[in-house]
Amino acid sequence: MGNILLDVRNLRTEFATQDGVVHAVNGVTFHLEEGETLGLVGESGSGKSVSMLTVMRLIPMPPGRIASGEVLFQGQDLLKLGDEEMRQIRGNKIAMVFQDPMTSLNPVLTIGTQITEALELHLGMNKDKARKRAAELLKMVNIPEAERRLDDYPHQFSGGMRQRVMIAMGLSCSPQLLIADEPTTALDVTIQAQITDIVKRLKNELGMSIIWITHDLGVIAGLADRINVMYSGYIVETAPVKELFANPLHPYTVGLLGSIPRLDEGRREKLTPIEGLPPDLVNLPTGCPFYDRCKFRTEKCLQENPPLMSVGVKHWSACWHYEAVREQRDAILGRKFMQPAAA
Amino acid sequence: MSTETQTTPPAPATGSAQANASTDANGAILSIRNLKKYFPITQGIIFQKKVADVKAVDGISFDVKPGETLGLVGESGCGKSTTGRTILQLYRPTEGSVLFEGKDLATLKGEELRKMRSNMQMIFQDPYASLNPRMTVGDIIAEPLEVHNIAKGKEKKERVQELLQVVGLNPYFINRYPHEFSGGQRQRIGIARALAVNPDFIVCDEPISALDVSIQAQIVNLLEELQERFGLTYLFIAHDLSVVRHISDRIAVMYLGKIVELTDGHTLYANPLHPYTRALLSAVPIPDPLIEEKRERIILVGDVPSPVNPPKGCRFHTRCPLAIPICKEVAPEWRDVGNGHFVECHVV
Amino acid sequence: MNPRPAWKETWRRFARNKPALLGLLIIALLLFTALFAPLLAPYDFSKTNLDNVEKPPSAEHLLGTDALGRDMLSRIIYGARSVVFVIIVVATISLTFGLLLGAMAGYFGGLSDTLISRLIDFLFAFPDLLFIFFIAATIKPGIVTQLRTIALANQWPWLTEFVRSGYADYLVVIISLSLLGWAGLARLVRGQILALREKEFVLSAQLVGVSNWRIITRYLLPNSLAPILVAISMGLGGIALSEGILAYLGIGLQPPNPSWGIILSDHVVRYWRTWPEMIWMIFIPFIIMAAVVFAFNFVGDGLNEALNPELQ
Ligand SMILES: Nc1ncnc2c1ncn2[C@@H]1O[C@H](COP(=O)(O)OP(=O)(O)OP(=O)(O)O)[C@@H](O)[C@H]1O
Ligand SMILES: Nc1ncnc2c1ncn2[C@@H]1O[C@H](COP(=O)(O)OP(=O)(O)OP(=O)(O)O)[C@@H](O)[C@H]1O
Ligand code: SF4
Ligand SMILES: [Mg+2]
Ligand SMILES: [Mg+2]
Repeated sequence: MGNILLDVRNLRTEFATQDGVVHAVNGVTFHLEEGETLGLVGESGSGKSVSMLTVMRLIPMPPGRIASGEVLFQGQDLLKLGDEEMRQIRGNKIAMVFQDPMTSLNPVLTIGTQITEALELHLGMNKDKARKRAAELLKMVNIPEAERRLDDYPHQFSGGMRQRVMIAMGLSCSPQLLIADEPTTALDVTIQAQITDIVKRLKNELGMSIIWITHDLGVIAGLADRINVMYSGYIVETAPVKELFANPLHPYTVGLLGSIPRLDEGRREKLTPIEGLPPDLVNLPTGCPFYDRCKFRTEKCLQENPPLMSVGVKHWSACWHYEAVREQRDAILGRKFMQPAAA
Repeated sequence: MSTETQTTPPAPATGSAQANASTDANGAILSIRNLKKYFPITQGIIFQKKVADVKAVDGISFDVKPGETLGLVGESGCGKSTTGRTILQLYRPTEGSVLFEGKDLATLKGEELRKMRSNMQMIFQDPYASLNPRMTVGDIIAEPLEVHNIAKGKEKKERVQELLQVVGLNPYFINRYPHEFSGGQRQRIGIARALAVNPDFIVCDEPISALDVSIQAQIVNLLEELQERFGLTYLFIAHDLSVVRHISDRIAVMYLGKIVELTDGHTLYANPLHPYTRALLSAVPIPDPLIEEKRERIILVGDVPSPVNPPKGCRFHTRCPLAIPICKEVAPEWRDVGNGHFVECHVV
Repeated sequence: MNPRPAWKETWRRFARNKPALLGLLIIALLLFTALFAPLLAPYDFSKTNLDNVEKPPSAEHLLGTDALGRDMLSRIIYGARSVVFVIIVVATISLTFGLLLGAMAGYFGGLSDTLISRLIDFLFAFPDLLFIFFIAATIKPGIVTQLRTIALANQWPWLTEFVRSGYADYLVVIISLSLLGWAGLARLVRGQILALREKEFVLSAQLVGVSNWRIITRYLLPNSLAPILVAISMGLGGIALSEGILAYLGIGLQPPNPSWGIILSDHVVRYWRTWPEMIWMIFIPFIIMAAVVFAFNFVGDGLNEALNPELQ
């Protein structure tokens, strides 16, 4: 760790639609170190997928448009690359795994063909070598009888197996960065546990960086080193994982923690939901995007959109009143937050 | 048909769950015995003949007590929805009985069944599919009132507005169509419709799975409030054990058409007996990195077998870390190991 | 978002689609023309004038005259009646059978589904034209004679007139056409209903105790209306075309009654050799027929968008 692998600055992505311009990503700045796992959490429509698709240059244009920003990957701005150069990076240095393992595989080709294709294309392997490597990859993600299963078609695999195949394909060219967009959301918890287990092991073995998109704070707690919390196209809080859970300093993060029941908490009296709905991305407020639903809001929040402010070691929050959040969150959630461990 | 003439007056709702429902000898509002639901798989072009069965629910028994919430968890395809729908007679049982307030629903038909329906309702998973897109919100909520002759004219309208308020929606929405609402709001509309007939018992089939995290808690709280206010009994179906633990008094764990363990929430968490329950509990992530760091996971190998040909003996033996030879041969029995803690396993 | 009646909202979305509006205008024009043909036609459509044949469009004869000196515009205007007649008869019959049988098969399933589905499959396998030839050659003369006898026996002048006009022959052929035509619609309706039947909002209706009839009429049919209307609208274009084809084959409306199909077939045979002279003789009926067929398709398209708010 230490070297910066990916440095994203002031990224803005918008979509032109019938109802107006959808501001999906609104000036997102973050970085990722080598060997680091970054979690990206937020509710539906908060811009998690779009921000990562922008990094990968996979936004459909039109209607999409990258309005501004830089995506420095190993010092090179991906947004300035030609299409061919970008294709070389995708699949070779950066791989992406999507939520739906059903639609990401071509139903008419065998699994083997689909994996070896990438190997032959990007790494110039010959057929035999590629096939051997493909079998190794399937073994790596715990697919039994890997050799034989290469000749099977996607529909002969279960959902969880397909997702593991997708991960194997993502890893086939030993990428430096794996972007996983809710890869376990469609799967059962026991299968999810299988997959997160494999990913954790492989990350250590291969030393790659991971960006893991999810709306499940539970999954990310056990996986990530650091977390970005997104809300309506902004990163509203970012912190190392333990710090974030022990010392949340944005009302939205506090709200999320209050909304989810925990297995180890038993039958609790009440959850503390976030009332209301997220803002319309076509008419974003000029002030804080969380204003409508916020318990800490003041006139200032309505006037001025808070930037990410440093609130601790590697900890930033985009809330004018993070001090008030620190003082009142225990009372609001009826739960004791620990003070952050000395970093 | 029955000799009982129980006309249950809409008793005032009490805070404690001693609800407005009548019960049977066990003190249960609902008693399920050896319930089975098979879906035939047919083949043939002109004459369809049955070649096999999907054994979606394959012999389950449990009681639901008035005013309680019974949670039903299990992985996708294990038969949770089928259980809920068979109880409500949306699917007719292949075998077994569903005693509701003392009557066996499986034997009811036509008008009698239709009448019983006002005592049992369902809240569905998909808020986008569970409301008729061509009806206004007002009509959606008023329909049960019309069908069961509960209210007419002005009274009906007032009742609809009241119901909207009860579920936390603006009564002004009455003329709008479902597509004008968010997922959470639609779920509230569905709840209002279910409440319109004053049911005693509601099957909640994954009512929050399709919603955003921040909205899920709103609906969970609403369901809890309504339970207190109207003395409702819930069968709460979900695949998310954390939510089920939060909302349920007792929890049933289902695997491949069978219930493998049933006990109160605390015991299930503190002292799970069935190896599947243990694996399931260990797989549920806890949103706390300090705990996650130390947790030991039981990673199950392989996938859930097909319900068309479930494994012989114990259905879990193909993935069970504790399986012994007998598990492959003989199906374990559903037994009470004390204090209403039921389990179906040879090893415990 | 103001609460707005559903139909207004639908109309607003429909009106956004310009080709659909144009299509609607053409269809309205067609209906109007058919209804008021006697008032609109400047001349008697069958009056020949051998001194004034094959004249190009002029102020006197806006679309010129044909080989017998008959006014083309008048013939085209009366031809609209034939098209509209076919459309109304076929649409009514196939709609009734298609909706009813399709909905029954889809909702009740079981034996009724098996029987209806087999019948649909059978009708699909049967070549339409063969069937029509068969009817025209065998049953039709019998029925027409029968009608004539009934008319005489009862002293019904309107029926006598109907039989004499040649529309009776036509009716028999068309009815047989629609007896085949409902199959496609029924299959569509059945599929729609089958897909909807398992939808949660239909289950919810069953739970609330809504009757079968009401479930079919308030839940299933309205929600399958969009694709059905679209299919019907697109289908009407095809029916308008088959009117022409029947006439062309000589088993449709009989001359001297004007039908666009008859006009076109006459003229194609007569004038293609002299290309490009007198080409309007082919193009005018052709363009009008094409305009009607496209109009129905455009409207179908517009309906598709307007009735599916989810599609935007
Ligand atoms: N192709 C597109 N055209 C128009 N709008 C789009 C398009 N793709 C995404 N958006 C909009 O951008 C916003 C952000 O979407 P995004 O997919 O990034 O959300 P997300 O955080 O990944 O949510 P989810 O959890 O549902 O995947 C949404 O409001 C979405 O409607
Ligand atoms: N109408 C049906 N016809 C045939 N098979 C069915 C039908 N409904 C359900 N099944 C099958 O029965 C089994 C149990 O399905 P069910 O929907 O009850 O599972 P579930 O536990 O609710 O799963 P999920 O969590 O995915 O909702 C599955 O294998 C399913 O494919
Ligand atoms: S800036 Fe204001 S409105 Fe925004 S989250 Fe903080 S307190 Fe709430
Ligand atoms: Mg996404
Ligand atoms: Mg289900």
